[in-house]
Amino acid sequence: MSAEVSVPIERDADIVTARQEGRQLAAAAGFSSADQTIIALAISEITRNIVSYAQRGKVTLSRMDEGGRRGILIVAQDDGPGIPDIDLAMRDGYSTAKSLGVGLPGARRVMDEFELVSALGKGTTVTMKKWLR
Amino acid sequence: MSVPILKQGDVLIASIQAALSDRELAQLHDAFADQVGRFRSRGVIIDVTALDVLDSFATRTLRSIAYTAKLRGANAVVVGIQPDVAFAMVQLGLSLEGVATALDLEEGLAYIRDVAKRGSHRVR
Amino acid sequence: MADEIQQAASKALMREMGLDEANIERRKKIVGFEASDVPRIAAIRDLVTQHTDDYVTTFFNHLSGLDDARSLIASRAIAERARQLKREHLVAMVQGEYGMKYVEQRIELGTLYAKAGLDARVFLGAFHQLLKHIGSAVMKQVDRKPLDGFESFMSLKKIAFFDIGLIVDVLVFERERVIRQQQESIRELSTPVLQIRERLLLLPIIGVIDTQRARLITESLLRSIRANRAKVVVMDITGVATIDSKVSNHLLQTVTAARLMGAHVIVTGLSAEVAQSLVALGIELSKLNTVGDLQGGLEEAERILGYRVLTTATDAGPAPEGS
Repeated sequence: MSAEVSVPIERDADIVTARQEGRQLAAAAGFSSADQTIIALAISEITRNIVSYAQRGKVTLSRMDEGGRRGILIVAQDDGPGIPDIDLAMRDGYSTAKSLGVGLPGARRVMDEFELVSALGKGTTVTMKKWLR
Repeated sequence: MSVPILKQGDVLIASIQAALSDRELAQLHDAFADQVGRFRSRGVIIDVTALDVLDSFATRTLRSIAYTAKLRGANAVVVGIQPDVAFAMVQLGLSLEGVATALDLEEGLAYIRDVAKRGSHRVR
Repeated sequence: MADEIQQAASKALMREMGLDEANIERRKKIVGFEASDVPRIAAIRDLVTQHTDDYVTTFFNHLSGLDDARSLIASRAIAERARQLKREHLVAMVQGEYGMKYVEQRIELGTLYAKAGLDARVFLGAFHQLLKHIGSAVMKQVDRKPLDGFESFMSLKKIAFFDIGLIVDVLVFERERVIRQQQESIRELSTPVLQIRERLLLLPIIGVIDTQRARLITESLLRSIRANRAKVVVMDITGVATIDSKVSNHLLQTVTAARLMGAHVIVTGLSAEVAQSLVALGIELSKLNTVGDLQGGLEEAERILGYRVLTTATDAGPAPEGS
């Protein structure tokens, strides 16, 4: 199977590791350097969300190949408190804690697919995809 | 790894050489806040040429350094943002509003000199 | 040496086409290849390897009889290489190993066909002749047990179809590459970034701006700012057909990105109608430094850069609107 990388997210330094891994994987998948940067940035935002709100979780990065369409799949999971109001969290400029409130909606804007599933008391999973054009 | 701050005349310069964690960025912020007052600096330059990503936290910290510097009488300028980094930032909706930017260190120094000469704190 | 270069090229192409192990496994599944096919193919291995030259000749004889294949046959160097690869192909076909290495060899041959401009239908015709020849030989040898012979041949045919899939994909991919390159150059032509003076760039934007194009414009502007050490950019939008909220958003992003790199952007060519409609739409353009026309924009740019404009009595350029 193709490469899959999993990075545990427990401290702020792990955010740097996660986005560096993401950039490498994106480069190997054939993304332009501009897109690699965008992917690294989106990973930075969703993993920071884990550090800020859930303390611990992990992000899994893998390459996708679905019937000739290729891309990168990023799944960030945590077992933190969950997000009470997803619509509100996805609104530009909204933030309950330390982040600036552009992180999640910003990441959604730059990825081709973005899904956020959250259950109160159980945790949050963000799934993002970006396809190679 | 902490970022060394160089003092050149009345200008403080920090060249960030590698990706920084949030904590390291916050330390840089504190170090600037301390030294601007201690050395009565007129200008602060943060060189981010080596950074391949500026995310929301980094952006916010840079902005905060600039504001803090201004409150203590110094002008701050962020230099060396790479094309890909600038592009990714606007795509994501991040900006450095109210913070001066320049192409590189040389331009950053010229900007600080310029502002000092005009005696104003005009920010683009 | 040349082989190594060719191998590296094939490997690169495989990556571009997404031909990794998972993809190859899927391709095997598509042609219905199973573990049980391996011993069946092994049963006819000697028969194929002993007569490789005959089959290669069949393949190329068929091609030399076709006008459509002239480009492959005409070049001696290409034809020689193709023969050699075809020989290797036939040997590899009956070895039972159809992984990355096998695919890499197929890709190299496919690239050669693409280079020679061989069409898929022509290749298919010759390949079929070759298979027919192998089929007859198999049936002749196993006359006591025709069913075994047929099964062996059908197993080999799965690999043949696996190969056809690869070759056709290479031909299509290479043809699309030409189209992609043409599109790329058209796009580049449509977003020129011109250096007017030292540290001053002109970005004339003409036509329709969609998300994709806005992206290209921004990327090329940012690279030019760095390459030319530009300090001021005059973005002229006289030629932009319509400006709605989406387009203005794109333009705003371009300006913001340029500013992040330390360049000052002056927007020119905003007509009265466009300006009015933007106001009516409630679009925020106060963040932009706008100057009525291109000439005024260039004068303003020169002023910022410290040039003194001596064309008029006053030495201060026109005041920027809306700032």
